[in-house]
Amino acid sequence: MSDPFGRRGDDKNSTIDRRRWLQAVGVAGAAGMAGCTGGDGTDTETTTETTEGNALGTETATPSGEQDLPEVGGTYRTVSSSPAETLNPLYNTENGAGNLIGYALDMGYTFKPGNEVMPQLYDLTTEDGGKTWTGTVRENLQYSDPYGQVTAEDFVYQVQELHQADWASTADSSAWPSEVTIEQTGELEFQITLPSANLLYPQTYDPLLYPIPKDLMQPYVEEQDDAGLQEDQELLNLEFTGNLGAYTLEEWNRSSGQTYSRNEDYYLQEATDQFALFENAPYFESLENSVVQEQASRLGALETGETDAAAVPPERVQEFDNLENVDVYLIPQPYNEVCVYNMRENGWNAGPGNLFREKKFRQGLGCAVDKQTLVEGVFRGYANVEYTWQPRWSRWYPSDADMMEFGTGDLYGSEPAQSRIEEAISNVDHEYSYDSNGNLLNPEGDQCTITLYHSAGQNTERSMAEFIGQEFEDNAGIAVEVNAIQGAQFSQEYWQQEVPENADDLEWSNGSYNAGPRDVATSANAWDMTVVFGLNTYPLNPLAGEVFFQKDSFYNPYGYYPSWDAKDLFEQANNAESPEELEEIFGEIFVNIAEDQPMAMLAFPSGRTGYSSDMVGPAENFFSGWNFPGWYREE
Amino acid sequence: MGMEWYIVRRVAWAAIVTFIIVSVTWGLMAAAPNPEVQKAATQAAMDGEDPAAAADLARQRAQLDRPLHERFMDYVVGVYTLNWGWSSTRNQPVTQALIESLHYTVQYSVPWTILTVLIGPLVGLYSAANQYSWKDHAATGFAFFGYAIPNFFFGIILLLLFGVQLRWIPIVYNTDVAVFSVENAIQLSVPIFVLVTGSIGAIMRVSRNESAEYTNADFVKTAKAKGVSTYRIYFRHVLRPTMVPLSTTIVGYLLALFTGSSLLVEVVFGIPGLGRTLYDAVIAQDTSLVLGSVLFFTFVATIGNLIQDMVYTVLDPRISFEDR
Repeated sequence: MSDPFGRRGDDKNSTIDRRRWLQAVGVAGAAGMAGCTGGDGTDTETTTETTEGNALGTETATPSGEQDLPEVGGTYRTVSSSPAETLNPLYNTENGAGNLIGYALDMGYTFKPGNEVMPQLYDLTTEDGGKTWTGTVRENLQYSDPYGQVTAEDFVYQVQELHQADWASTADSSAWPSEVTIEQTGELEFQITLPSANLLYPQTYDPLLYPIPKDLMQPYVEEQDDAGLQEDQELLNLEFTGNLGAYTLEEWNRSSGQTYSRNEDYYLQEATDQFALFENAPYFESLENSVVQEQASRLGALETGETDAAAVPPERVQEFDNLENVDVYLIPQPYNEVCVYNMRENGWNAGPGNLFREKKFRQGLGCAVDKQTLVEGVFRGYANVEYTWQPRWSRWYPSDADMMEFGTGDLYGSEPAQSRIEEAISNVDHEYSYDSNGNLLNPEGDQCTITLYHSAGQNTERSMAEFIGQEFEDNAGIAVEVNAIQGAQFSQEYWQQEVPENADDLEWSNGSYNAGPRDVATSANAWDMTVVFGLNTYPLNPLAGEVFFQKDSFYNPYGYYPSWDAKDLFEQANNAESPEELEEIFGEIFVNIAEDQPMAMLAFPSGRTGYSSDMVGPAENFFSGWNFPGWYREE
Repeated sequence: MGMEWYIVRRVAWAAIVTFIIVSVTWGLMAAAPNPEVQKAATQAAMDGEDPAAAADLARQRAQLDRPLHERFMDYVVGVYTLNWGWSSTRNQPVTQALIESLHYTVQYSVPWTILTVLIGPLVGLYSAANQYSWKDHAATGFAFFGYAIPNFFFGIILLLLFGVQLRWIPIVYNTDVAVFSVENAIQLSVPIFVLVTGSIGAIMRVSRNESAEYTNADFVKTAKAKGVSTYRIYFRHVLRPTMVPLSTTIVGYLLALFTGSSLLVEVVFGIPGLGRTLYDAVIAQDTSLVLGSVLFFTFVATIGNLIQDMVYTVLDPRISFEDR
């Protein structure tokens, strides 16, 4: 084992913000996702196991009608790789802690297989095409004494007095800009009005709230006491949760973990229309989470049955799946692996000009990397090939007939790569050319050599970078120098730009991630390509990914200017009035992205979680965990 | 006066030293970029949200938006009023965080220290008494093995052997068992074994060499001539002078191990002790908790040094602080 502290795991988002863990959907059951159970490692096996087949979970059988309910008993044990910083629902921004809060406190709604919204605390509906949303709160929601019943007022107060107030730094602040209004329209009803219609508003996770008693928040609101609210013992120890979660937090030992007991009056017991097994849920008498920082120890605990769930590194998936007492589930997730090209002025350092700005050149590079081999070789088969900004299983993925699949079939190899690159260099003012050995030469007659950065200590990422380098050399005739760098250093010195002094005179300047047009705003250090960051593709709500493709958004470190009308198409998507219309527009957007190749879109790695084989509930789909209170141990 | 006055001055000096060290630490922490802010910005960026706004919010949450001098003054006042502040990574008062962590560290550090201090010199003495025999080589080999093998690696190997293969010890450390219980003794046995083997090496070698020097000293020869028993000679006439230079090694060495090595063992065995608390606090720039821990360790170190000086006078009557 190398230094266990200095190393970042291959599950690189060990602590991540709220958006990320919300992507994991069924919050509590997603304990196996990155961050909570931890995981990292390298790769050995070569088997192809994709998670695409049933990623939406529509083929997963769910029990319905009358059936015997499982016995209540035993303990569900899980492990996490790092201690939770806070369990205060208003301030938590981390994935792992989000799961821990979720055991004791549900949020407004979740998503279930088939991408259906499952109302938990409230149901959100719209009747005017997504401009006004009405939230109807369940009747059987109770806080612990003395706070009484959960009402619409609690949610409205929380949003107006905390998330929309300047003094409070709650995690949800960014989800509630002042243009969004919320008002109480009945004891159990509230209404949200958006500045413009959005049919996928629930999928943005913005209207997702925890229930917090108004009386608990009020003293802090009156004093405008941000620190006091963060440190409130009732919030930190989840003492107010009543019947609002499947379990009740009994003890939180800061470094070693949490203990929960079964909540007999769990409100979802009345929601058998959603899932029959909710009738007597949950089915464990207690739940324990232990902090086990060392990966070898977590895997040892999974092997000996001391934990019921733990993340498994790719090279050990086969080994653990072969154990009698463990089943490994491959769970799709929305983050992709991309190789980003620097199209700003300090990118492409192999010669004059910046060839990355040429669409044909990017397409040529797209033809140079064999994505299937990458997935099988580097990710050991525990990933899916990526062609555009959506996984194939997403409802918004265009039909295969429309899609240019760079890096596969006819669109892979040196001929398709070099012919496109030749077309690109004939368009630029500088004398680039290919020699007889298939090497791309710059105007000085030297082979073009560019750099590719990957995160230090990330074995999978390093292998991916080396594979890309090899493929570029073989198929595009471009030499690649692969360099390791710390993620934070790359972000500071390469990814973010220095804001120019004349920022006000520029067409736009949107902070350090897009400090201005690509000819004037550059980072402190020059760079060509990077695989340091994976980005979220938002399979449930692709509208959220708009910022990655607008030249003047607040996020364009790579200086991409779309050759298609991104602004107009996203505008159309924002204003779409039916899911069918949205489908059509997104189809067009993703075909354009695949064709324009803003970056090399390579793969979607799967989450890999080992569960005790007697556990009934986990599933290999994006929504695994949505029905966690209904999980049980088979006798 | 005399000795008492010397102790009072040393304790007062310890307070000044502590303040200087902690102030320097505070300065370094304040100067370093906060990783939480960076993390918030990066994550927001990956998700297509505004990174600058996320960074501002994180800064506000960590109260880094207040002026530097205000934060320092708050901290100094806090130190002297024993209000060490709020740990942002554990969301509890710093003193409570330290006490909770210390509770688990003490459970293994006390037996570890006692066993090291007892076994180290004794193995050294045994080696010296059997110099160049196979027993000497075996003892030396054992000491060097423990010294050479990294604790975390040895820990993982033993955990896999005794936990996963033989299933004699639990993998996940259980904080619910009573301190004085068989379960606790079982779960702590391997971590303590790893720590003891790791720390007796140096002590054993020093005591072996020191003892070897005294086995042929004139006073030992005289004792032998007077017919004093072998055990009495070794324990009273050889071990005691050997312990004078060793006392420096023992106290100093063990204090360093207390802060360093225990971290790795705590991580491997999942013990929620001080090492992990301090490490996590440093990594996440939990300033209040880092400073609380630094205060604690500085206090232990300065008082430890004082005790060490006192021990000299007991072991060697020629040393005196009466006239200092």
